[in-house]
Amino acid sequence: MKSTKLKRTFREGMDNFRRNGWLSFATVSVLAISLYVISVTIILGITANMVLRNIQEKINVSMYFNSDVSESRILEIKDKLIGYQEIQSIDYVSKEVALEQFKKMGDKNPSITQALDEIGENPLLSALVVKAKNPSQYDIITKAISNASFSDDISRIDYEENKSAIDRLTNIMKLVEQVGLTLGVVFVFIGVLITFNAIRLTMYAHKQEFEIMRLVGASNTYIKMPFVFEGIFYGAVSAVVVMISLFVTSKFLAPLTQGSIGGGDLTSFYLGNFFTIFGGLLLAGIFLGTISGVIAIRRYLKV
Amino acid sequence: MPMLKFENVSKIYPGNFVALEEINLVIEKGEFLSIVGHSGSGKSTLLKLIYAEEQATDGRVFFNDRAIDSINHKHLPYFRRNIGTVFQDFKLLPQKTAFENVAYALEVSDESPEEIAELVPEILEIVGMADKAQKFPRQLSGGEQQKICLARALVRKPLVIIADEPTGNLDPVATWEIVQLLMKINSMGTTIILATHNKDIVDKLNRRVIALDKGRVIRDHQKGRYAI
Repeated sequence: MKSTKLKRTFREGMDNFRRNGWLSFATVSVLAISLYVISVTIILGITANMVLRNIQEKINVSMYFNSDVSESRILEIKDKLIGYQEIQSIDYVSKEVALEQFKKMGDKNPSITQALDEIGENPLLSALVVKAKNPSQYDIITKAISNASFSDDISRIDYEENKSAIDRLTNIMKLVEQVGLTLGVVFVFIGVLITFNAIRLTMYAHKQEFEIMRLVGASNTYIKMPFVFEGIFYGAVSAVVVMISLFVTSKFLAPLTQGSIGGGDLTSFYLGNFFTIFGGLLLAGIFLGTISGVIAIRRYLKV
Repeated sequence: MPMLKFENVSKIYPGNFVALEEINLVIEKGEFLSIVGHSGSGKSTLLKLIYAEEQATDGRVFFNDRAIDSINHKHLPYFRRNIGTVFQDFKLLPQKTAFENVAYALEVSDESPEEIAELVPEILEIVGMADKAQKFPRQLSGGEQQKICLARALVRKPLVIIADEPTGNLDPVATWEIVQLLMKINSMGTTIILATHNKDIVDKLNRRVIALDKGRVIRDHQKGRYAI
């Protein structure tokens, strides 16, 4: 297409957008609401995932070794376990380190220090702290360890004590994933439908103009282009509106999410991903705006 | 070579409604032709066949020896640029000023901005609307809107102007202004085809008149008066 045509249809689109003040306002509002709901759903999904992963990070299973097992033997076992594909990391905590940590807790609770003094020697056991890649795998890991050749060296594994908490978390994660995904799909679907309908109505309002344009000798492309640009404006303006609304929302929710999302809160997540979110919204808005516009116009463009 | 030729043209709308039947008609370049007839007699359909808004069910319409129904869909917009149209309901674009409405007809046919800046004021001057160029249609009276329509039809220097009841919504003074403009345009060489109900206009014009009734031509007089 020639550049004068492009320039003219662009200006047409801008004039339409400006001069149909109320219609543009209504269309942008609907588009913005749809985009807002969709992005809130997605952001909630992502942050819920991050929160859960955060909790998951804190879950581990410790196996305590008999006090007569040497450190070199424990490290040997650690090297063996590293080969398990379900295991993400293993940390060795010697009984001296464990005592240090325990004493630190004693700073706040003097009775612990007292008790240790009475015993006189280090009552703690050296341990390997295992983190699984997925919380549902702890079961397999502990079973494998219990049946391993070195199982005689192990005093106890604290898996059973944590089992119910781990199971619960696993279930919650599954549920959140399923519900989030379902809700997300439903909201996206509704958003697309509402936007499509709103823009179809906008195009319907222009219906008579299409006829006039045709009679004056405008080609279909020439009639269509301004509305493509109009759709782009709808999308772009909506994206900006939604960015502002999301910022306000994140500020509002920030106290609730303090420290749970990658160490920050919802606002810092928003600011950290500003350009990703804005780019996504811009793309989604423009895509929705133009595609539904073009589909709607086609109905009215018989030559 | 006649400018327009109808050869055994019939138009039947869905539902077996016969709008035109066996029309044979020749219109020469430079004519001022009035078409009269009751509502529903087929006047508008006849005009629509010329600017290719409708296709004949039977027979053919030729424009400068070219069959209109043979024109490729893609080329219809270019074909329409030869024809200026004026309607009872004006059909101005509501979101554009008078100037922009006229300019639009040039923009779609890729005229340069310089050309547009020169031609539009010239045409608005001819129809006497130069001082209202920046008004929107809603700010103009019916007669003024129709003048803008005429300007828009005229600005591309069409071979023919088709006016379908252009004065149907206008008071007598405005009506007469429009008719005088049409006569002026005709005197500059443009063919005019005017469908109307207005007896006074037809009688005063004293030019060729075709009377339609139930889709048939019942009268065709070179210096006609209004009679159905």
